[in-house]
Amino acid sequence: MYCELTERERAGIINPIFTCQPAGAQYASIGIKECIGIVHGGQGCVMFVRLLFSQHFKESFELASSSLHEDGAVFGALNRVEEAVDVLLMRYPDVKVIPIISTCATEVIGDDIDGVVRKLNAGLLKEKYKDREVHLIPVHTPSFVGSMVTGYDVAVRDFVKYFAKKTEPSAKINLITGWANPGDVRALKHLLAEMQVEANVLFEIETFDSPLMPSGNHVSHGETTIQELSDTANAAATFALNRYEGGKAAEYLRDKFDVPAIIGPSPIGIRNTDTFLKKLSEATGKPIPQSLVRERGIALDAITDVTHMFLADKKVALYGNPDLVISLTQFCLDMEMKPVLLLLGDDNAAYKNDPRLKELEENLDYKLEIVMNADLWELENRIKNEGLEVDLIMGHSKGRFISIDYNIPMVRIGFPVYDRAGMYRHPVVGYEGAMLLAENIANTWFADMEHKHNREPVLNVW
Amino acid sequence: MPYHLFKCSECIPERGKHAVIKGPGETLADALPLGYLNTIPGSISERGCAYCGAKHVIGTPMKDVIHMSHGPVGCTYDTWQTKRYLSDNDNFQLKYTYATDMKEKHIIFGAEKMLKQNIIEAFEAFPAIKRMTIYQTCASALIGDDINAVANKVMKEMPDVDIFVCNSPGFGGPSQSGGHHKINIAWINQKVGTVEPETTSEYMINYVGEYNIQGDQEVMQDYFKRMGIQVLSTFTGNGSYDDLRAMHRAHLNVLECARSAEYICNELRVRYGIPRLDIDGFGFEPLSSSLKKVAMFFGIEERAQAIIDEETARWKPELEWYKARLAGKKVCLWPGGSKLWHWANCIHEEMGVDVVSVYTKFGHQGDMEKGISRCEEGALAIDDPNELEGMEAMEMLEPDIIFTGKRPGEVAKKVRVPYLNAHAYHNGPWKGFEGWVRFARDVYNGIYSPIHKLSLLDISKDEIPVDRGFETQRMLSDVHLSEEIKNSTELREYTGGYDLLKGLKERVYPEFPPKANVALPAV
Repeated sequence: MYCELTERERAGIINPIFTCQPAGAQYASIGIKECIGIVHGGQGCVMFVRLLFSQHFKESFELASSSLHEDGAVFGALNRVEEAVDVLLMRYPDVKVIPIISTCATEVIGDDIDGVVRKLNAGLLKEKYKDREVHLIPVHTPSFVGSMVTGYDVAVRDFVKYFAKKTEPSAKINLITGWANPGDVRALKHLLAEMQVEANVLFEIETFDSPLMPSGNHVSHGETTIQELSDTANAAATFALNRYEGGKAAEYLRDKFDVPAIIGPSPIGIRNTDTFLKKLSEATGKPIPQSLVRERGIALDAITDVTHMFLADKKVALYGNPDLVISLTQFCLDMEMKPVLLLLGDDNAAYKNDPRLKELEENLDYKLEIVMNADLWELENRIKNEGLEVDLIMGHSKGRFISIDYNIPMVRIGFPVYDRAGMYRHPVVGYEGAMLLAENIANTWFADMEHKHNREPVLNVW
Repeated sequence: MPYHLFKCSECIPERGKHAVIKGPGETLADALPLGYLNTIPGSISERGCAYCGAKHVIGTPMKDVIHMSHGPVGCTYDTWQTKRYLSDNDNFQLKYTYATDMKEKHIIFGAEKMLKQNIIEAFEAFPAIKRMTIYQTCASALIGDDINAVANKVMKEMPDVDIFVCNSPGFGGPSQSGGHHKINIAWINQKVGTVEPETTSEYMINYVGEYNIQGDQEVMQDYFKRMGIQVLSTFTGNGSYDDLRAMHRAHLNVLECARSAEYICNELRVRYGIPRLDIDGFGFEPLSSSLKKVAMFFGIEERAQAIIDEETARWKPELEWYKARLAGKKVCLWPGGSKLWHWANCIHEEMGVDVVSVYTKFGHQGDMEKGISRCEEGALAIDDPNELEGMEAMEMLEPDIIFTGKRPGEVAKKVRVPYLNAHAYHNGPWKGFEGWVRFARDVYNGIYSPIHKLSLLDISKDEIPVDRGFETQRMLSDVHLSEEIKNSTELREYTGGYDLLKGLKERVYPEFPPKANVALPAV
């Protein structure tokens, strides 16, 4: 067997790939309109996540903290949640949705956030806010379980679970994008529009790429509405593009409301986009239009220009969110590249049974190592001490120093990307995403050829 | 009492005593907001936690150290690659971070065993590094892991390593300031006095409360070296662990950020009799008098004066170029803590700008005292500001530029106010004479950005100017300037390079014969 599935053997993490669960829940919550989450824990759990979002998007997002201090850690801090809800509602008249997001600290001390939500519903909301629509949603995301990826998955499920209500069947589908960028959502909506399919988009975050307007809008918000969330129960099907980032919500809707769940593929690369469109066509009865045939052709034309001449046989290491890493690997293989190391950054036991990884195991004829529960040291140590040679690194900005120190070109992709401008705008999904991705890989390689004087005259006549 | 209650905070009246407007003729007795109190939950305050105050602000700038957080992965990840503190050992501490990766089973059964394994693994991964700091987090504090015991055990088994333990969980105090305090005290309790320094000068200082943001420490160290003063240790930017264990041997503690590091200076005074001298590395005048004060302590004023004369002659004409063009521009000075008083007066004096507001996220009343006394009349001072109050203040004050953090800077951008990063700087270092000119240049380039001017235009209703294909900063800044200044042959724009630190690395320092007759305080 050429493809090997291993796990980090060290106890600790040197340079993490992911942050913890509450960050994932916070990322989901900013996708909802008129929603401000309250993170029940220390202030750093919010301040740094807001900073992280602003590093990536160069935008500011609103998230609140219950500001757990010492007395709360000792005596319990549910009173802080009660006060936080009241303060938030008083000062933000448009807010309707407030997830209460737990952290390691408040899970360890055993604060009952479900109980406090019941208490607030029966008390404060009934009395002081009786004429106002307010939804409090407890989201349990202890930091010592899973990662930001599972936190996102849990939060999406909890939002859907709270709002989904069966009324009239609808022709719409649910599109659960997973941990996406504004550019991805734009590209996905474009595919749906070409297919003439309407969708409840979870989450509608195209607006995260928000303009600088004469009116001076000061924060960015997601646009998914309560109506869309509740309508998810009536949809013709749920497309959860990423198995580990929204899969739970799709399963819930299937089990509870018999909404067919189509989980994956993440439409990254030509082939995965083809599969997505085929499944979309099957579920909705809508044909794939000529416009997409043409769009696919433009992408293929561009990709052909760079694959067998430049990208073929280039060895790649990839890390980041699991669905992204796996789908990118598939696309890299289609482009004749050779992924040699994949790092999946948490301890999710489901990876072992992921059919996509099994397919890699069964079909590859060269050595590919897949490390689960990995950190970035798994990559750096192999390069530094074990002789691993790679031509390219693909991953988010936290690994930038491996690229810099070992002089290996790197394509910034995933979350967060803060050391390259505007990457959140560039889709990686759909035919357009495939084309831009291939071109980005090629251009990164070209710049490296020039930088290292490595056969750079070749580019004269390309 | 000139308290200011924001409209957006009328429903939380306790905020009323956290902001003041300094009226004409008013003294601090009239105008001092409350400070360093517990945060109002849900107010969307900008404060961080005590863990980050200890680890992220003070701990991690130490350069030759494995920085390990004992807890789930998030605390480590979140406080990694979000600062610009450099080090001259290829930024080791900036590149590598360590989490013990606490999981559910550890919460239930304890994590001391895996902590020990973590420590050993980390030293194995980086065999050249023999020093470690372990930071407690909320989770490890609550389950009661005895980190000190584990560290002591490892130190016994591995005699060539040394480990410092900082117990400062995120919930310990109203803000990051709680963590500053805890790590100061922990360091002097555990480590100071455990190493004897190598002495290369008869004048030795600890440079305290300096974090080497974009190279500040290297700039200041250059001045001290030119004066023949040995910087025994820097607490903590670009600082070495073992140098900091020898802090007890300095003759003088030179303190920069009194908010985050006065505690260790005060303890060094009590325990070792080392005097504390507060200085400012920002601004020509404060920096000059700071260098003179340090020199005066050692009786070497002429050495300081020589540096001041040389640097002033070199850089003053460039500072003046910017000052002439920044006069009367309105600034909101909204940093974390100490910069509100480091900068409040000297940006007015030396860059000509008016400070219309100061705020502090984690400062205490003492910081506000200093800040308010140094800013202009009518200035709005806010303690523990929150998102809506910041917006309301910007609408009320219409500043030309804001000095604040990265994320609030994005808010400012959207209301079309340029911002400079007060914590990490734009094109720093900003300390030192040349650094101060770089700051002025950043302010100038922020305010007179042609793109910024375009963002103020509403093409649907405003008159669209069509007479120009472009504008330069000069075309905007020099409109109302007198011919004399415009055509001055003495003033000039910044002439330094992109990276001023490169020049420092090549510098050769003078040797001074010992002045044996100088009586120094006994240590």
